[in-house]
Amino acid sequence: MHLVTKEDIEHVAKLMRIDIGDANEHFERIQKILNYFDSLDKADVESEDIPLHEVSISDLRDDKYIPFESKLISNLKSYKGSFVRAPKMS
Amino acid sequence: MNLAVSATEYISSVKNGDTTVEEFTAKTLEQISKHDSRLHAYLSVDDTSLDRARQIDKKIKAKEKVGAFYGMPISIKDNICIKDRKTTCASKMLQDFVAPYDATVVSKLKSQDAIFIGKTNLDEFAMGATTEFSAFGPSRNPWNPDYVPGGSSGGSAVSVSALECVASLGSDTGGSVRNPASFCSIVGLKPTYGLVSRYGLVSYSNSIEQIGPMGRRVEDVALVLNHIAGMDSNDNTTIDNKNQDYLSGIDAGIKGKKIGIISEMSKGQGLDKNVENAFWKAVSSFESLGAKIEEMSLDLVKFTVATYYVLTTAEAGSNLSRYDNLRYGYELDLEGYEFKSYISKARRNFGPEVTRRMILGGFVPSAGFAGKYLLKALKVKSKLKKEISSAFKKFDFLISPTVPILPFKLGEKINDPLAMYLADINTITANLTGIPAISVPFEIHNGLPIGIQIHADMLQDARLLQAAYALQSMTKLRGAPL
Repeated sequence: MHLVTKEDIEHVAKLMRIDIGDANEHFERIQKILNYFDSLDKADVESEDIPLHEVSISDLRDDKYIPFESKLISNLKSYKGSFVRAPKMS
Repeated sequence: MNLAVSATEYISSVKNGDTTVEEFTAKTLEQISKHDSRLHAYLSVDDTSLDRARQIDKKIKAKEKVGAFYGMPISIKDNICIKDRKTTCASKMLQDFVAPYDATVVSKLKSQDAIFIGKTNLDEFAMGATTEFSAFGPSRNPWNPDYVPGGSSGGSAVSVSALECVASLGSDTGGSVRNPASFCSIVGLKPTYGLVSRYGLVSYSNSIEQIGPMGRRVEDVALVLNHIAGMDSNDNTTIDNKNQDYLSGIDAGIKGKKIGIISEMSKGQGLDKNVENAFWKAVSSFESLGAKIEEMSLDLVKFTVATYYVLTTAEAGSNLSRYDNLRYGYELDLEGYEFKSYISKARRNFGPEVTRRMILGGFVPSAGFAGKYLLKALKVKSKLKKEISSAFKKFDFLISPTVPILPFKLGEKINDPLAMYLADINTITANLTGIPAISVPFEIHNGLPIGIQIHADMLQDARLLQAAYALQSMTKLRGAPL
């Protein structure tokens, strides 16, 4: 059983850039779910390979510019000219 | 005209002139306004549907070429884009988002003259099994409005079951088409991974999710599949199906076919007794149709719930990182925030389940945990695929109940996410392995529906539909009591 702490949850939430308010709200449920995930320890899969999805380059679509006919930018909520307004970077 | 028709019946009665597209569309809209304030299948209804219906009627009258659906009303899960219409994913983060393009499935159906009557409710970003995680309130089960309709494509299932459309498109990541189909007594298909393009489906867990058709009859689902399947250069996981016709030969029967009962899904303590009884009746039905039945075991099924939630939360954590509330989103003043804190703050508008999965999605692939969770889960997925393909060397189909429990009451499991996850145990194997699976309505127990699930091998969707059609022929179920 792995013991996740409230600090772990706060740290991950910060990395995921999500303000979760009080970590206590999530603590018990996240811990219960992660404990359940620990059942994977019992799976006999050590010798398995990790599956890969391979796509050959010849199967990719052509790398060409397709103009988008509609006014994408007018659907944006906060823009000036062709710029999106965003908070300042610190 | 009766709204409780199959797709094929609808199309032939429009062709014969027994009804007009306008008449049927108007009646469908009437049905929606009569029942949907209570059932809440729809997040938005298209008020231009009648104009579109008249246009199609005009084409029919002028003997112009008309698309295969003849104006049939189809509902679309609100995580699939229709150009110039809202696509909210039942999230406050996208409550005002208007899609700038059509999903491939949508443009295909549009070109065949389907009418998109409305966008249906779901659990926020398709994460859930009841629609209770919709930011705009849950849908209710037409069989009993105190009960959940299943999810995440719950709104789609309700709209089909309550005659608020003829068919619907949902998406199925871990059973999200089949689970609500079972709970609402309709048919729901999760096609082979890659058979249907995901372009324009809002991503949740790309490596396993599929768009799937839902309808009141197996043949309706086959008809819709005919028109949405196939290669798409915008989704490089799509497979060339050589324009296969899933309707022709659907009545071929299953005489002499070998069916395996997946023991891990069809017995044990998590299985409701009434579901178990219905399942064994279905087994007898398959026998009387001439199939040979044998019990079999898929050893790894017991690890699938953990595997599924590790993989999907990891992918969701990455997919949902695009929601920064800058280019689209809800009103939240920029003043007083720096970049990162603004994004974190804006994401408070994610609901509890999405937030939880974002956190889990941060944990499972992170340094120190990846070997224990993510890499292990990928290995289980790999081994399960081998287990399944060797099973299909022996069997034509594998069966189980679709959901191990009966529909439950709203609110009953909302505070126990793990209990909710465990209800997915029978449906996620098809997602993890990519094989097609279908839920067929089989019994109504004390007013609550029970569905039977059939799996087939990769790209055997046509045979799967034949088996489902055969099982359907053994049932005589009434429609939802509205």
